[in-house]
Amino acid sequence: MSAQDLTPEDFDRLAAEHVLGLLDADEEVRAAALVKDDPAFRAAVEDWRARFAELDATALPLEAPDALLARISATLDATPAAAPEAEVERARLRSVETPAGTAARPATLPPLVPSPAGAFSALWRNLGFWRFASFAGAAATVLLALGVIIGPLGRGPAPAFVAVLMSPQGEPAAVVNAFADGTAELIPLRTIPVPEGRTLEVWTLWDPARGPVSIGLTGEARTIRLNLRDLPRTAPNQLFEITLEPQGGSPVGRPTGPVLMKGTTSVAL
Amino acid sequence: MKAASGSAAEGGFDMEASIIACARGERAALHAIYQREAAQMLGVARRMLRRQALAEEAVHDTFVLVWRQAATFDQARGGGRTWIYAILRNRSLNILRGEKRTELIEDYEPLGLTSEEESPEGAMLRLSETGRLKSCLERLEPLKRTAIVLAYANGLTHGELAGRFGVPLGTMKSWIRRALLTLRECMA
Repeated sequence: MSAQDLTPEDFDRLAAEHVLGLLDADEEVRAAALVKDDPAFRAAVEDWRARFAELDATALPLEAPDALLARISATLDATPAAAPEAEVERARLRSVETPAGTAARPATLPPLVPSPAGAFSALWRNLGFWRFASFAGAAATVLLALGVIIGPLGRGPAPAFVAVLMSPQGEPAAVVNAFADGTAELIPLRTIPVPEGRTLEVWTLWDPARGPVSIGLTGEARTIRLNLRDLPRTAPNQLFEITLEPQGGSPVGRPTGPVLMKGTTSVAL
Repeated sequence: MKAASGSAAEGGFDMEASIIACARGERAALHAIYQREAAQMLGVARRMLRRQALAEEAVHDTFVLVWRQAATFDQARGGGRTWIYAILRNRSLNILRGEKRTELIEDYEPLGLTSEEESPEGAMLRLSETGRLKSCLERLEPLKRTAIVLAYANGLTHGELAGRFGVPLGTMKSWIRRALLTLRECMA
């Protein structure tokens, strides 16, 4: 598996498609081996990276949350480089990720050491786990919503639909009750820090072709009435979400800020 | 906006020196890189992964890798910024193509925000007029140009590109190959 049996054209094409991420599994193995062993190939890869780098500047920057930096620091603190587990993790990551790197692709990864700490951090990183946790949380909250919120208010109208809005961390953050008469209310389940000069804006997506529609603004997390009267009747699986927007609401009529929570409606029993 | 090639000091910030400081264990250097680049990195990852949570995951992993592999960074091979964005791309593509496939197609989507802004046309519009890439991409036929940008910026595969343009897989592969030849000649 050397560069000898490649035409110069194919050699360079392999480098370019490696950078683009277009190679199939077999060719990617070959490219990874060449990156490891062939300085000329490494140089060709580096050239293609430099050529395409201008495109990275065309992505629209997103606000970098302090919480993300805190999470990065926590990961680094939790796995000191000297620990054997970290070594395995490091080797595993390096073998997949290092750009001008040293080794092969995911299929050849050494398995993670099944230490309890490793298992915990693997679970921590596992989105599937969080998804499950969030569904479990959603289910619990729906029960809570039905039992606690609807129960005592039983004298008033019962909502036709309930949406539990989940935070990005997968925790229930608010409930939307939509009533048969076209009114709706939002009941927060936790406080939401709102920076100076910003506001919370509630949106619903009834028709993807029309896009999200603003249905409410609030400066803080409290129970508010939502204005659904200009919209068609709320339906099952209709999306609701809350974003952080400039004071007075999004200037462009659609969400611009980070999504703080979202969820879809279910039929209330 | 900063220069995309990104070597040496830009506006008083020296990326290469910061990576080398990371290799010495200086956490402040990593924080400085975060302050400098994380917003743009999130944008790059979000364009590929289409989801804020996954983009943050990719950027998280990238900073962890930058920290741990800082000692393997070799200035002689290329600039620090290119090195970091290569790690970010690999990480994002792995998430896109592999481990998170199920989460990507699940219905936990942000409200219909998919975007003109993240389209290949948007990327072309925002490409620096002073860089060489824009004028070289403009020499390509429009469909081939769009295919190249979709592959790099949005992480589409040959198969996805073929489906999107309604051409056979072999045709798409040869479009890409010819486009790459043109680009290399133009940018040499």
